[in-house]
Amino acid sequence: MIFLSALALALVQQPAAAQAATAAASPIQKVVVTPARPRVTAGDTLRLSAQALDGAGQPVPGASIRFVPAGGYFEGRVDADGLVRSGSTGTLPVTVVALVPGTRPVTERVEVQMVAGPAVRVAVQPAATKLVAGQRLRLDARAYSAAGDERDDRYTWTSSAPGVVRVSATGVVEALAAGKATVTAASGSARGTTAVEVVAGPVARLTLTPSAMDARTGDVIRFKAAATNGAGQPIAGLTPTFSFSPGNGQIDADGVFVGYEPGEYVVTASLGTRSASAVVTLTERDVRRRINVVGRLPRTRFTTEEVWIHPNGTVAYLGSGSGGDVMYAIDISDPSNPVVTDSIVANTRRVNDVMSTPDGKFLVFTREGAADRKNGIVIASLEDPLHPKPIAEFTDGVTAGVHSAFVYQQDKFGTHVYLTNDGTGAFHIIDITDPYHPKQTAEWRTARPDAGRSLHDVDIRNGLAYLSYWNDGLVILDVGNGVKGGSPSNPQLVSQFKYDLNALYKDVERDGGPGFIRGTHTAWRHKDYVIIADEVFPSSAVTGAKDASAFRAYGRLQVVDVSDVANPKSVAWYEPEFGGVHNVWVAGDTLYMGAYNAGFRAFDISGELRGDLRAQKREIAHLNTADMQGHSQNSAMTWGVVVNPKDGLAYVNDMNNGLWIVRLEPRTEEVIP
Amino acid sequence: MLLATLLATSLVGAIAVTPPDSTLPAAMDYLVYVASESADRVTLVRFGPGGGRVEREVPVGMNLTDPDGPHGLGVSPDGRHWYVSTAHGSPYGFLYKYDTRTNTNAGLVMLGHFPASLQLSPDGEFAYVVNFNLHGDMVPSSVSVVATGEMVEVARIETCTMPHGSRLTTDGARHYSTCMMDDMLVEIDTRTFEVSRHFRLTRGAEQGMRGAPSAARGEHAAHGTGGHDAAAPGAGDTACSPTWAVPSPDGERVWVACNKSSEIVEIATRDWSLVRRWAAGPGVYNLGVTHDGRRIIATNKRGQSVSIYDTASGAELARIPTRRKVVHGVAVSTDDRYAFVSVEGIGSEPGTVEVIDLRALASVAQVDVGQQAGGIDFLRSEPVR
Repeated sequence: MIFLSALALALVQQPAAAQAATAAASPIQKVVVTPARPRVTAGDTLRLSAQALDGAGQPVPGASIRFVPAGGYFEGRVDADGLVRSGSTGTLPVTVVALVPGTRPVTERVEVQMVAGPAVRVAVQPAATKLVAGQRLRLDARAYSAAGDERDDRYTWTSSAPGVVRVSATGVVEALAAGKATVTAASGSARGTTAVEVVAGPVARLTLTPSAMDARTGDVIRFKAAATNGAGQPIAGLTPTFSFSPGNGQIDADGVFVGYEPGEYVVTASLGTRSASAVVTLTERDVRRRINVVGRLPRTRFTTEEVWIHPNGTVAYLGSGSGGDVMYAIDISDPSNPVVTDSIVANTRRVNDVMSTPDGKFLVFTREGAADRKNGIVIASLEDPLHPKPIAEFTDGVTAGVHSAFVYQQDKFGTHVYLTNDGTGAFHIIDITDPYHPKQTAEWRTARPDAGRSLHDVDIRNGLAYLSYWNDGLVILDVGNGVKGGSPSNPQLVSQFKYDLNALYKDVERDGGPGFIRGTHTAWRHKDYVIIADEVFPSSAVTGAKDASAFRAYGRLQVVDVSDVANPKSVAWYEPEFGGVHNVWVAGDTLYMGAYNAGFRAFDISGELRGDLRAQKREIAHLNTADMQGHSQNSAMTWGVVVNPKDGLAYVNDMNNGLWIVRLEPRTEEVIP
Repeated sequence: MLLATLLATSLVGAIAVTPPDSTLPAAMDYLVYVASESADRVTLVRFGPGGGRVEREVPVGMNLTDPDGPHGLGVSPDGRHWYVSTAHGSPYGFLYKYDTRTNTNAGLVMLGHFPASLQLSPDGEFAYVVNFNLHGDMVPSSVSVVATGEMVEVARIETCTMPHGSRLTTDGARHYSTCMMDDMLVEIDTRTFEVSRHFRLTRGAEQGMRGAPSAARGEHAAHGTGGHDAAAPGAGDTACSPTWAVPSPDGERVWVACNKSSEIVEIATRDWSLVRRWAAGPGVYNLGVTHDGRRIIATNKRGQSVSIYDTASGAELARIPTRRKVVHGVAVSTDDRYAFVSVEGIGSEPGTVEVIDLRALASVAQVDVGQQAGGIDFLRSEPVR
């Protein structure tokens, strides 16, 4: 028993007489913190100390000192005794509280700069180059700490064979004569090298060939440079320098080009004094299509949450929020006239997520804000899809609430619900192969301390779970794919794509102040990509603004290339001029998106994706899903969309305005007689 | 300024108005703040001869689409500020400070896991907030002390598992909170911000002890607590599962609500011993005490009712049904004339503030507010408007 030792104590007496109700002024005049300008390596610890001084500069007897974090909650910690544990680079504001019992506290604030540790690795790009004598090429170097934090270093460049390759202080190499050299970039004791081979010149002929001469904005064109010597022999493997003019777009070091605006682009590859150009002509992507509203089901009693379509394509399910305790079943066999046929009223105040089993026999919805605080999920039978009946619930360990749930079936492992835990940020896997008796098979969470761990959404394809892990970015788990030996009872980490949210949204902090909402919010696997979207809200609205319409979401969608699933990398992005990027759905080559204030949007994501998708004018359609009769008047807050494979229509849910059923009309070519 | 502040100025209206009651006094209005956890809203309710009505609604929290969960609420003794804890966080919650004149945000500070009930010290210098930690692992949690001028957490005092229901003595010298999962009452010396004593509340094993409880990991975790608690105890279950503690105005007694066993436990603070325990309403949850110390107002979470007790005898003077279920908090007017009781409701039902006439021992008004009405505190009385 935990009380055994305490039981030995005698009954105690009344404590000291009550103090005065009002705290007196403190004798402390000043709090001196050491070090005054604290700085610590990310991942390391630092001990802060402080002294409370009186007006004469003498230590105040009996004063207690306590250190408390005043921000930077996701980057580091400080304990009450002043031990700073730096979790990442950034700034950790700390308030130092000096207190003499019975008096008012005196505080001092310091900011601990958490910086990248000493460089242990320098990466030089390109990793190996083959130049022709007379050619110049700028190398790129990046230094990293042991924790993988990038440093902003200046480098010392050297060449192992200055007669072959000369390198400038800024990393520009000049090929002087045939031979081989190793070029080194040094930062402190860390070094990075690249092998440079110089072949004798001159290049007699250089040709540049695009993979396509004519393309549309946003199409990826790969340029291939071919050089020959005076004998007409090809010189293989040279590293040209690519550039283009005029126009707006991007070209990577490997000659992958994407243009954002229509027109002619002159792309040039240079090998020393020899250069070659190719002209490519880009036309408008021209993907705009008409959009029409086929049907409407306004919901005004509560906000509208997730929509889901039954596999039979004739029934939709719709969640409710902001106190909503109902999940609707809607007959959509006539999309122009959606009709609520039934509902489940549950002990909840939010049905945030809804999804059926692939066979359409059962449905799962999430609960948050239940009166009994048990929350969890509800499982319903869809024996009659128009009239779902609850048959079971699962609440163990997820009483805080479940925000998102994904139902996934694997022949080898059965059917499971993969859900998020609002309270702990853990990922739970629930076996519903017997849906009447759900049972947990596994729980997984990132190593991050509780503060800041938050799991928002789950997508699963081919046995890989794509977790939108807020501060931890995109986390990929093997839950049956086999690449890491994972299963629903033994999920295994495959990889993680983490990015600097604070840096990405620094303008949001400038707009509304620190402490804003931002994190990796949703993920969708599409071909070799995972499309991730962030949820971003400012911490404050516009001063003096009249109503909620002045409040807006922000956010960026990123296209992450997972063709090498162990090394995901971001290759393209979309960021709206106004509004956010909330839930997405992909059907065919079309990306559908609920963009919060920016309404419903659809994008052409055909082909290879690279660069700024908005600049490429890939947007197909936009619908402002506002309604004067909405839950909030004339205010779009588009949540997401599901595309019904039966009718090809987009079922768009708007938090303020209920369900919209819309059709992207086919392109009609203009006929010129 | 938060989103809430922006919206605050535009949301004024009446959701439900009760008709005038001839038994009401002629010249005073009473104002209370109540937090609605599932609506992310704090409501100022006015009650007087004209009945009860919503005076103003103030959205709170910073997340536009996910619930922040305002739970505990406290008004500063000088009436200039009100404070609300938002419990839901990601995962840690906040304490927000608002100006009562403008209902605009005046600061915030991040606290622990699920900050819940709170109270201001008599001088208004400190806010005491229990970090209930409803949803994480069953580990000892804490009471946060926030300096309200700077909105800085100046102490985080570890107590026990699932601290809940806390109140200060009238002189502010001692703070009492309960531990739902450890069956304990904890006393904090507010001069030192340290646990001074604790008291075991389990029936038949009552014991007062010096110092802080040993680090425990919710040995009673098997007891259901999800609804604090929605389920009645099983046979032979002697657990108290305390959900509220309130000292008598003279500081000589502490009364504890045993939510599981439906009892009120009375403890003498001078010798830290059990005085008595008496049967209370089903799932007794929160307690309020009149300023003269003569009455306890108890919410019965499993009973859809409010009980009024005579503190001298422990006798239940009345059990007053409420309009809706899941009865939550109590605030007593400074003249001891009325008790304002928050009722959460279930699902999409609105929350309710029930006004209990402490003379007539009857509910005299019900005002609908946002869903899951919880934390409640009395602001002031004033001439009728």
